[in-house]
Amino acid sequence: MLELRLVTKKYGTKFAVRNINLECRPSEFVVIFGPAGAGKTTTLNLIAGITDPTSGEVLFDGQSLDRVPPEHRNMSMVFENYALYSHLTVFNNLAFPLRARHISQSEIRRQVHEIAEILQITPFLERRPGFLSGGQRQRVALGRALIRDADVYLLDEPISHLDAKLRHRMRGELKALCQRKQATVVHVTHDYREAMSLSQRMAVINKGHIMQFGTPEEIYHTPANEFVASFVGEPPMSFLDVELTQGAGLPEMFVTGTEQQPARIKLDDETSIALSRGAVPEQLRVGVRATDLTISTTQTPAHAVPAEVYVVETLGHRDIVTVRVGPHMVKVVASAGMSLNVRDVVWLDIGPDTYHLFGDEQAIAHPARKVRVPEGV
Amino acid sequence: MQTQKVTFADLFRHLLMVVILCIFLFPIYWMVMTSLKAPEEVLTRPPTFVFEPTLDNYRYAFEQADFGLFIRNTVVIAGLSTLLVIAFGSLASYSFARYNPGDGHIMFFILTTRMMPGIAVVMPFFLIFRDLGKTGIGQFLALGLDQVGSLVVAYTVFNLPFAIWLMYSFFQDIPSELENSARLDGYSRLQVFLRVVLPLAAPGIAVTAIFSLMFAWNEFLFGYILTRDAARTITVGVSGFQTQQGILWGPLAAAAVVCILPMLGVALMLQRYMVRGLTFGAVRG
Repeated sequence: MLELRLVTKKYGTKFAVRNINLECRPSEFVVIFGPAGAGKTTTLNLIAGITDPTSGEVLFDGQSLDRVPPEHRNMSMVFENYALYSHLTVFNNLAFPLRARHISQSEIRRQVHEIAEILQITPFLERRPGFLSGGQRQRVALGRALIRDADVYLLDEPISHLDAKLRHRMRGELKALCQRKQATVVHVTHDYREAMSLSQRMAVINKGHIMQFGTPEEIYHTPANEFVASFVGEPPMSFLDVELTQGAGLPEMFVTGTEQQPARIKLDDETSIALSRGAVPEQLRVGVRATDLTISTTQTPAHAVPAEVYVVETLGHRDIVTVRVGPHMVKVVASAGMSLNVRDVVWLDIGPDTYHLFGDEQAIAHPARKVRVPEGV
Repeated sequence: MQTQKVTFADLFRHLLMVVILCIFLFPIYWMVMTSLKAPEEVLTRPPTFVFEPTLDNYRYAFEQADFGLFIRNTVVIAGLSTLLVIAFGSLASYSFARYNPGDGHIMFFILTTRMMPGIAVVMPFFLIFRDLGKTGIGQFLALGLDQVGSLVVAYTVFNLPFAIWLMYSFFQDIPSELENSARLDGYSRLQVFLRVVLPLAAPGIAVTAIFSLMFAWNEFLFGYILTRDAARTITVGVSGFQTQQGILWGPLAAAAVVCILPMLGVALMLQRYMVRGLTFGAVRG
């Protein structure tokens, strides 16, 4: 089992990663997911031993890796820029990790041909990396990492630089390859689909902090805070500032900026009781996913939030409609047959089973009805 | 069809180039011509341009003046000092490029030693080698006066700063991911240096080797002061044709031709790399 305990890395006075805790179970596929500059690559380098942590510890199977140099960690890595040895042929690139282990020539040849066959790079074995396309180079890099049996495979955006079609295919191949290896994989990416489709568990990282660590389902359905919520999902989640008013005993919500004609959003009893008991957060925000909402052209008990159509993007089988609720923009997926026009008045069904509620950027309630009011905030 | 218009400016530019080339190449032309002339034709006025070529001057240089020995000495000295420069220089500049010890100050200090004129240290060198030659280890390594070893050391010392500075930029150009990758592949730091870094830096190392070879080949001052007969180098040998009886222009020219030929060949073969190496040094350094 690979563990990071309170790992911090500082460059000068800047924190690259700060107090990171992470554990990867044996043969688990973990994805580290975050925007550029979040500390993803630094985390990988810390695991690999390329950089030493400023404080904290990296452990493998309970043993500290503090003084273990990279060459003795039995980890294998794919670098973002592939890091192929340009003076060696593809064959020798693939054989390079094996040569360090004094494996016989015939065995090396067998293993190289085996992995080349899987990755479909056999025709290029005698070429130098400089004469390969991006996709071919990337497969060579992957092959060089996967050719030997490592305890941990570290993949730094290995398929992010491929064109969409190839990326899609490689995603599947990568998952199959890693499953065959039965080893721990730590995969870094900034692509949300890649993260969701590959990972068994994923760590969402931002500004050097791990925002949330859990299964893709947990991350998607119960994001821990606004950052995770906004970063996961396509199209991205829309947010509405809301304010509390005192209803009949329990608090109610309406969208900020709609004071003249309040756009009310229902609170379920459990959440409103919790809110009325705890300290109310300074900033309340409702987050809704485009796929969770529906649009109606008439007002119904469910479709109670008035909105105005701002723009309609057609995807073919359905439309992505951007509507304006007060000053806020909300994206909704609508069936293609609705023929909505700009400035049409429509009604949204923003109810307790569709929205995520955030107080001071931290999650308070999810549609799955897990209420978590932070005390004394 | 596209016809290129030859403007007056183009014509003038090419004419200028021809004139400049003539000015620069004429001495070499004259040297080659002189080396092929019989003694009585060398100093005739007006100079002869058409004459019966002879190889007598070359024969004289090699048979009477022992020029073969000078060539052997120079080859040994230049070759050995270049090997040492590359061996020490590559390790030093690699560590400067990767670990930057001394925050750039040591690097700068090393460069400043290059700014020191040779004449300032030639006397200390003379005294050091005079005394070193009397010690056991000095005799074993031929580090005395008029011995090959002392010139090897002197040229190595003089070439190292420049070589470190030049190779530094080549090592910096190698992405550190390659080294990290090789270490994760299971190689130690030294193995990574030998199996990944050195092959990738090979063009830069070749350029550095050529420059240091040329310096050692062309060096005169140290060769003149530190040797007498046995370890005499080519450049000093050429100057030896200025005798008390007068200057032996024919053999001198022949020796000079032999002296520049190898370097000319090397330079022609590798001029593309050399330009790159020079601009690297200039821009990055």
